[in-house]
Amino acid sequence: MSKLGLVIGREYSSRVKKKSFIILTILVPLIMGALGALALWFGMEEEKHLRVLVDDPADLCGGKIFIGQDENPPATFYFTDHVEDDDFRYSEVYKDYDVKVNIDPDVFTNRTILGYFREQPKASTNLYIQKKITGRLQEYFAEDEGVSAAKFREILKPYEFTLLDVDDDKDKEGEMKAQMVGIGFSVMIFVFLIVYAGQVMRSVLEEKTSRVVEIIVSSVKPFELMLGKIVAIGLVGLTQFAIWIILLSVIMISIQGMFTAQIDAETVQNIAAGAMDPEMMEMMNNDNAMLIYQQINWGTLIVMFLIYFLLGYVLYASLFAIVGAASDSETDTQQLMIPVMLPLMFVYFISFSIIGNVDGLAALWGSYIPFSSPIIMLQRVATGTVDIYEVVISVLLLVGTCLLTVYLAGKVYRTGILMYGKKASWKEIIKWLRH
Amino acid sequence: MEMLRVENIVKQYAGHKALDDISIQTKQGEIFGLLGPNGAGKTSLIRIINQITGPDAGKIYLEGKELQRSDIERIGYLPEERGLYKKMKVRDQAMYFARLKGLSKKDAKKKLDYWFEKFEITSWYDKKVEELSKGMAQKIQFIITVLHEPKLLILDEPFSGFDPINTELIKREILQLKKDGASIMLSTHNMNSVEEICDSIALINKSKLLVSGNLQDVKSRFKSDTYAIQFKGMMFGFANALFASYSLEHSEQIDEHRAIAHVKLLKGNTLNDLLKTVMPVVEIEAVNEVIPTMNDIFIQAVTEDGLPQQKGGQDE
Repeated sequence: MSKLGLVIGREYSSRVKKKSFIILTILVPLIMGALGALALWFGMEEEKHLRVLVDDPADLCGGKIFIGQDENPPATFYFTDHVEDDDFRYSEVYKDYDVKVNIDPDVFTNRTILGYFREQPKASTNLYIQKKITGRLQEYFAEDEGVSAAKFREILKPYEFTLLDVDDDKDKEGEMKAQMVGIGFSVMIFVFLIVYAGQVMRSVLEEKTSRVVEIIVSSVKPFELMLGKIVAIGLVGLTQFAIWIILLSVIMISIQGMFTAQIDAETVQNIAAGAMDPEMMEMMNNDNAMLIYQQINWGTLIVMFLIYFLLGYVLYASLFAIVGAASDSETDTQQLMIPVMLPLMFVYFISFSIIGNVDGLAALWGSYIPFSSPIIMLQRVATGTVDIYEVVISVLLLVGTCLLTVYLAGKVYRTGILMYGKKASWKEIIKWLRH
Repeated sequence: MEMLRVENIVKQYAGHKALDDISIQTKQGEIFGLLGPNGAGKTSLIRIINQITGPDAGKIYLEGKELQRSDIERIGYLPEERGLYKKMKVRDQAMYFARLKGLSKKDAKKKLDYWFEKFEITSWYDKKVEELSKGMAQKIQFIITVLHEPKLLILDEPFSGFDPINTELIKREILQLKKDGASIMLSTHNMNSVEEICDSIALINKSKLLVSGNLQDVKSRFKSDTYAIQFKGMMFGFANALFASYSLEHSEQIDEHRAIAHVKLLKGNTLNDLLKTVMPVVEIEAVNEVIPTMNDIFIQAVTEDGLPQQKGGQDE
């Protein structure tokens, strides 16, 4: 086996055998799966059909609520002329009703509807009740004005409203939603860059502080040692991804298997919506979900994620290796890390500022500049607004920069690792680069 | 037979010269002491021989051939700043280093067993280094250095940090390795061990070579025509008799009537002349030539850097 192979082998096996690695790799999908299952379970627990007593002395609802054909209503409405709130609360007669809603005869002027529940209904049911009753009141008002309920419902039907770029007639709203998916990937890359590149730094520092490094570099070129480290930790990262994806898929499939017998897709959607505020819930309908699935080319996105993660990792890992080699203790690294972390943090914030403006200058430049392209480009890829040649240029620039930083890091590394007992300043590091 | 030849090595770091035209030569099967105060450039030279860093100028030859990258497998190096992976098991670690030095898995295992049995430490195999004491870890480091049976062993301050028992053990092993045919270069501050085990030395100060050669030759070069004379009689009379042709360097009263005086010959006088001068005054009991210790030579050469030029300088 070549020496580089030996270095990679040692670094890789020592990492994947660590308890922390095993725990993190197995625990993360398990926790995520458990949380998902828990959410589903709670959702099912709450899937209780409510009986709503509508106290409507002025008969403003006309004693009925319109229910659509395809609806799977979480509540049924019952009407009464008048029931005292205290009777609802204490009387055995009304104990089968879960919610009581009072329609004030003056509701059209005071615009207030008050109700009581026995057990807090979940947000989506609450919203359903509100929507049905206010809708019915509006219909009543319309009928009063001579517009039939059916006509009024037609009038109220929402319009699909879209603003398009005059020079580019693609659908911006869908694009923004797709970009949110891209942002998810950006955040993942950002976190993984810091985690794995940070591991390279700590590994360099560990060999330096334990003074084992001089024994190793008497057999292996410092550059090989550094390269071995970067490759091995990158492989550890990929191993972790692979295990996560496999475990998560297995967990997802088994959870689905456990629950599908009892719930249909719509329930799942309701449960998901229950966790969001009403406005978000409005947005989340089947059309949106389909849009995201259809607009985003997941295969391309995942391949791009891997390419940009690996290249970004090599870039930042070599910078972190410089910091590790120039430091003499963990505390030293914090100071030296600032110039490396600052651009990364800046890029991270930029990636949020370009939401909804993925064709803007910031996004354009950000997706070319190698220090930011691993984080920014994925958003453009997710929205599908990027041409293949742009990706090629961006990747080539990134590869070139990676080669340069690895080369420069090698120069700093070979001097830095043998400097014991003091922290180098950036001024000295630049001197080593020139030497 | 020549083992290592260092020719006109120059190494410049940002801001200072670490090695200035250093040339030394070691023979096969000898123990060569590389001496010098802290910061003299010893470690820089050792790192260049180990190909950890490269020289700015000059060449290095191993057994007559210019040093190649593959030669690192023929060299064993114990650095001054040494350590091990704390979380790694002793066996895995030793195997890793052995394989980096080019040994096959099978050979590495066989040789590891040999050394661990020799030092009676096979029970440490599955221990992590962090569970070992400092002395135990040092033994492992020594084993790692010699495991691949290097032809040239380079030991940078091998005795620093070792307790007296381990120091003796390592000294014994070094002599055994020499007997088995290895050539050894060691850098040390421990002048007693230099006297004990070194065949040749080189003394470096402020990045320059001050003196080098066979230990006995170097010592005789640093002789200063000084004799220790033990006598019975009055020191006063003895000192007066010396007058201007000799210099009384040092004297010491043994008892009421006897003393030892260190006398340096001046103006081309011989020992015979000296004896003739003092014999009428005192009764001579013993005469010995004063041979400088390595400690004396080290201190003299370094504090009066340049003084031995007329003697040691010719070696450069």
